[in-house]
Amino acid sequence: MSVTKRYIVAGHAFSMTLPEDRELWDALRQYEPFEADGGEELFKLEIVSELPEITVEVEYDAPTEDGETVIRLLKAASGEWLIEMKPDHRMQICGRMLCSPDFRKAELLVANNSLRSKLFCINNSAMVLYAFTSFYKDTLEMHSSVVVKGGKAFLFLGKSGAGKSTHSRMWLEHLQDCELMNDDNPIIRVGEDGTVTAYGSPWSGKTPCYKNISAPVGAFVQIRQCPENRIKRMSVLEAYATLYSSCSGYKTDSGMADGLHRTMEKVVTGVPFFLLDCRADREAAEICSEAVCR
Amino acid sequence: MKKIEGFKMRQLGSEYIVLPESSKLVNFNKMISFNSSAAYLWEAVGDKEFSVEDLAKLLLDKYDVDPQTAGKDAGKIAESWINAGIVEK
Repeated sequence: MSVTKRYIVAGHAFSMTLPEDRELWDALRQYEPFEADGGEELFKLEIVSELPEITVEVEYDAPTEDGETVIRLLKAASGEWLIEMKPDHRMQICGRMLCSPDFRKAELLVANNSLRSKLFCINNSAMVLYAFTSFYKDTLEMHSSVVVKGGKAFLFLGKSGAGKSTHSRMWLEHLQDCELMNDDNPIIRVGEDGTVTAYGSPWSGKTPCYKNISAPVGAFVQIRQCPENRIKRMSVLEAYATLYSSCSGYKTDSGMADGLHRTMEKVVTGVPFFLLDCRADREAAEICSEAVCR
Repeated sequence: MKKIEGFKMRQLGSEYIVLPESSKLVNFNKMISFNSSAAYLWEAVGDKEFSVEDLAKLLLDKYDVDPQTAGKDAGKIAESWINAGIVEK
């Protein structure tokens, strides 16, 4: 027996069909704030117990470092996609997902029966499908830590280990009226009037922060560790390069790249971007908020 | 010389950028920005073979410059494209 649940994240609906397994659904509590009906589904993800044999060719194999999730895309002559995933390049593949050519229907096979593998595969599959089906709807799936202050969202960007989460913590500890929206994977949408809005999601990296909330974006801030605290405004070109490397998507597919570009152009021309060189201290939070909350 | 396959030029406000958009270029992690004359040349040469002389001629067609300046500018642009890894000899 299986159970289907429907969710709405940043206004986009999707569904997941998983075995009727109490332990599994309990472990997926992060999705509960987003449970809702309505709207056309971006994608349907289903866990299956077997996948048909298909012949595929490697289409995209991104270089990854130790400890980084590996997502590999393979394409069949039929136009269907096979996505293989593993937590680290030194490990065995733990999930295979067969997707329709437009990624809107996906069947996931998890290689072993452990709860940890299932969670890893379900979360990564849902995130990939969300990014691959929302790109043409002025939506970006970001890699960022977000704090809401004074009703506005401030997104901290940077490579893994740059100090995004740490900088969020500095705001929460030292500044008034702050709330963590999401610590790893918020969603950004551009409205028809050009407003840029940040949304919480069921994906938040290592920090359990799964809030179904949204706020207009005040600024994006790229974080770099430095012995000195200083902040400067970025040019549109610098902002674009920063945003490009901080959002998910299959950028070598020309259709998806077109969609992402249109959205990114609106974001970098609509919202200020800053570069913050900083330590992990109170002063860093203060000089940053002073510059970006203006 | 010739463009390396898979790069796409896009307009960003009043500026131009070139990004890799091919699975063969996943290791190319740079974004190249062009001024308007480089953007014009990039568009004009298309996917064909071209030489520095071709670029100079294109500059002369469009801009009010003397042949010597056009030749010098064309050489500089070609060199910057090769150094950036978006054009091969």
